[in-house]
Amino acid sequence: MGALYKKLWRTIGKTKGQFIAVAAVVTMGIAVYIGMTTAYFNLNESKDQFYREHNFADYYFHVVKAPQQVTKQIEAIPGVTGVTGRIQKDVTLVNEHNKRATARLTSYTLPMEQEINSLQLLTGRFFAAEGAAARPGEQHTRTGDIEILVDPQYAAANDLDFNDIVTIVAEGKTIPLTMVGTATGPEFIYLMKDAATLLPDPTSFGIITVSRERAQQLLNLSGQVNQVLVTLAPGTDEEKVAQQVKSILEPYGNLAAYPRKQQLSNAMLEGELDGLRAAARFMPAIFLGIAAAIQFVILRRMVRAQRLQIGVMKAIGYNSRQVILHYTSYSVLVALCGAGLGTLLGLALAAIMSQAYAMYFNLPATIGAVNNQAILYGFLLSLGVSILAGLTACRSITAISPAEAMRPEPPKGGGKTLVENLSWLWHRLDTAWKMSIRSASRNRGRFAITIVGVVFAVGMLVVSLFTIDAVDYMVESHFHQNQRYDYLVRFAAPVKENAILNITRLEGIQKSEPLMEIPAKIKFNGHSEDDAITGMSPQATLKRLFDHRQQPAQVPEEGLLINQRTANKLGAKVGDMVEVETLLGIGPARHSPVKIVGINMQLVGGGSFVSLEQANRMLQERQLASGVMLKVDPAFAAQIEEDLEEMTGVSSISSRQKDLDNFNQNMDAMIYSISILVFFALLLGFAIVYNSAVISFSERQRELASLRVLGFSVKEVSGILLKENLLQSVLGVALGLPFGYLMAKGYMNAVSTDLFTLPVTIYPTTYIYAALGGFFFILVAHLLGVRGVRQLNLVEVLKNKD
Amino acid sequence: MTNNILMRLNGVTRTYHMGEVTVNALGETSLDIYQGEIVVILGPSGSGKSTLLNIMGGMDLPTAGDVFFDNDNLGLANDNQLTRYRRNEIGFVFQFYNLIPDLTARENVELAADLVDEPLSVTEVLSDVGLADRMDHFPSQMSGGEQQRVSIARAAVKNPRLLLCDEPTGALDYQTGILILALLVKINRARGSTVVIVTHNTPIGDMAHRVIRMRDGLIAEIRENASPLPPERIEW
Ligand SMILES: Nc1ncnc2c1ncn2[C@@H]1O[C@H](COP(=O)(O)OP(=O)(O)OP(=O)(O)O)[C@@H](O)[C@H]1O
Ligand SMILES: [Mg+2]
Repeated sequence: MGALYKKLWRTIGKTKGQFIAVAAVVTMGIAVYIGMTTAYFNLNESKDQFYREHNFADYYFHVVKAPQQVTKQIEAIPGVTGVTGRIQKDVTLVNEHNKRATARLTSYTLPMEQEINSLQLLTGRFFAAEGAAARPGEQHTRTGDIEILVDPQYAAANDLDFNDIVTIVAEGKTIPLTMVGTATGPEFIYLMKDAATLLPDPTSFGIITVSRERAQQLLNLSGQVNQVLVTLAPGTDEEKVAQQVKSILEPYGNLAAYPRKQQLSNAMLEGELDGLRAAARFMPAIFLGIAAAIQFVILRRMVRAQRLQIGVMKAIGYNSRQVILHYTSYSVLVALCGAGLGTLLGLALAAIMSQAYAMYFNLPATIGAVNNQAILYGFLLSLGVSILAGLTACRSITAISPAEAMRPEPPKGGGKTLVENLSWLWHRLDTAWKMSIRSASRNRGRFAITIVGVVFAVGMLVVSLFTIDAVDYMVESHFHQNQRYDYLVRFAAPVKENAILNITRLEGIQKSEPLMEIPAKIKFNGHSEDDAITGMSPQATLKRLFDHRQQPAQVPEEGLLINQRTANKLGAKVGDMVEVETLLGIGPARHSPVKIVGINMQLVGGGSFVSLEQANRMLQERQLASGVMLKVDPAFAAQIEEDLEEMTGVSSISSRQKDLDNFNQNMDAMIYSISILVFFALLLGFAIVYNSAVISFSERQRELASLRVLGFSVKEVSGILLKENLLQSVLGVALGLPFGYLMAKGYMNAVSTDLFTLPVTIYPTTYIYAALGGFFFILVAHLLGVRGVRQLNLVEVLKNKD
Repeated sequence: MTNNILMRLNGVTRTYHMGEVTVNALGETSLDIYQGEIVVILGPSGSGKSTLLNIMGGMDLPTAGDVFFDNDNLGLANDNQLTRYRRNEIGFVFQFYNLIPDLTARENVELAADLVDEPLSVTEVLSDVGLADRMDHFPSQMSGGEQQRVSIARAAVKNPRLLLCDEPTGALDYQTGILILALLVKINRARGSTVVIVTHNTPIGDMAHRVIRMRDGLIAEIRENASPLPPERIEW
């Protein structure tokens, strides 16, 4: 087979532009496949391992407070394999310079191994339980200190080290805590305060872990717990057990109960994993599919052009199988090159992604394994797809009989094209257009494949740029439309409205509006959903609400403006009566019937709204507020912030500007991944248009050379090719834009979670940029594809029979 | 010349159907080809010469009739058997050379040599046709006569028992044509290959042991030539 191999190499050499272009598409497909699959696999594996080794809880129960022995009762429930009672409470952290942050104080009993959601020590050592001195050889902290561990991101963001003091405000007292190390646990992988938070912000939220005895002391809960975590035997009916646990905990004030999949960190992580898995399937499918289509087009054209050569090979004595193998080898080599390069690139991509994940997720043992299975599949996949494309394209080889091949190929059914039948249009077209249209309809298959390729490439451009729109939209609506306040100040405990006057009186406050936030259960038709109900004045202007049609919605004087997600889950609609159970954690739970009078939609998190008065009525209180929204004169902002930090009753101050900065900081990674996507899309589009241009050029060399002989200029001849190219490109771009919208929708569906959805909003400029991107790759591909026109050797082309 | 029969065609026909029209490219034809002879098939355009040659070469199947080669009936052969037959027994030379443009002269010949167990030496065969110093040139760098010599080398390298040539001089000038024919005679002498040449150039018949004239898809006449002329003495 020596000579045939040489022929193969020469063919690749001659078509190296095309070869490189398809191989590049395969490379991208495999890189994305291996990169994402490996990242997915590693992240998932790290997660599973971490969950397994640290006894990740299956169910969470929050109560006001319960005696710690209650766990004994719960242990007895069939199906329950482990129970941990603990204290977890958000307390105010006072940083350097008096800045406020929130710490989630969480208690553990030593030895850690038996705990559910046990901690993994990262640096330092475990805190001592009360009275227990540090063991010999260990570094000592000051005697009597309350030792704590801090989550690593908070520690890094606040420059905390062994023996540093962290100050919290608990039960009205300022208490210094001594940090003895950093630790993380399976419920703290993705650290956000609550579902209404956009992104983790380690400067304003952290985890502090401490021994149970210490926590009980700090929070005046001696002998008590406020959370119960359980693990279940595999196959246990979760909800049944949950009911039993809830009835045991009933006397202690059930606040919330949720399974593992609703645990915030887990839900965010699973959401990311789902998105990654969807992308890991979808993206390579696009690339490999298009690569296959291009290979098919290249090879079919090659087989056609080399009909005579195939005939000769057969006449000499090669059989169909050998000839098919010869041509299919071309695509096999494309696949091997693509898979080889793609694997290298994919491993690099996986490393980058793992690094990015390590930044966002607190996973102690991030597995950096090279996923051999993904590599194997990558090769098999690209080979399979290429061989399939090759074989399909070479099918006709079997049918070419050597005697037949020596005769010119019979012209294909030369029917009139669609446009030709529209005679009024046809007669208005110039000859170049006529030639282009005829050529397109002669090669319908290739024409269609090129269009599909352009559609995908432009669609991908739309999707990549859409991400920017989505974020922009979110920032715009979240930070500019919804939140009109500069600061949201929350109090450690609800205060009387007139107590807010302290704040309102500060110089530079332009407007202040109180609000009352109440965690609650909303019940309807036997279903119950946890939700946060915010009470604020119907005339409030510092927070704007919108309904599901994105029209402004107003807080009603009377009745509930329910959160759309909650309403959907409950199956409740406007006009229905629901029962609200308040779960403030202080004072008894109150039940009150409320009528749904409207729906509101929030991009991030949940939240239903009532008037401030109605919120008080629900609590059977008067004029209570849990926080206040402030609009300030920017000139006084710094001073106001400082004054607020001084106030003891204040538990947290969230600054819109700070949130926005934090958000923007997190956009760097996004811009990076968008650039990669845009690059991939352009390359994809380029590859397909370039191939189509090269093929249509070489197919028509003789015709074009004849035109040159007749006296057409190089420009005029390339013009004909450009018109043909434009014909498919314009169509492809035009179809690609709406297709991009659909793709964005599909993508959003795949990644949207219970906590987070975005309407697919695509700005007109995005379409314009995508279309420009489309025309850009089309033009570049065209220019490169037909650069041969200039060198068209008239004598050669007209002499040779291909 | 021995009288051993190499190939026997018995009542062979070939018809083409093109929609409504049926073309009788080859009427009922019977013919024996002897080992080691040179046969020239003459006839006007469209008389069925190529059709007959293609059937003899296993490039095409007869519509009816038997084609015996070594007691194997090619008329009943399947694709695999035909391929094996072409591979091992036949060398083809075409009017338009039909070299693979991406391969050099040497590689074009290797292409054929690769197929058989005991090919002749590629360099020797190319030297025999006078291309010792052109071996690494591509077809596009060679003249028609040179390309046809490569094509003959490609056919000869397999050392086939039957060399089939369809208009081997059709695209060449007189001088070059004579050179090509001389090469064919040389191979016939040196290797004992049977050579069948299709042409519409009557004088070429003078070099053959037998001349077959075709007309309208039928053999009109078979003439034996007691003393074939060397190609150098043919004139047209
Ligand atoms: N594949 C085909 N389909 C239809 N008709 C065919 C086909 N091949 C040959 N013919 C017809 O069969 C007849 C004989 O053709 P053939 O090629 O054998 O002629 P020829 O003697 O070789 O002519 P020439 O000297 O011009 O090469 C012609 O009429 C031709 O049109
Ligand atoms: Mg002929």
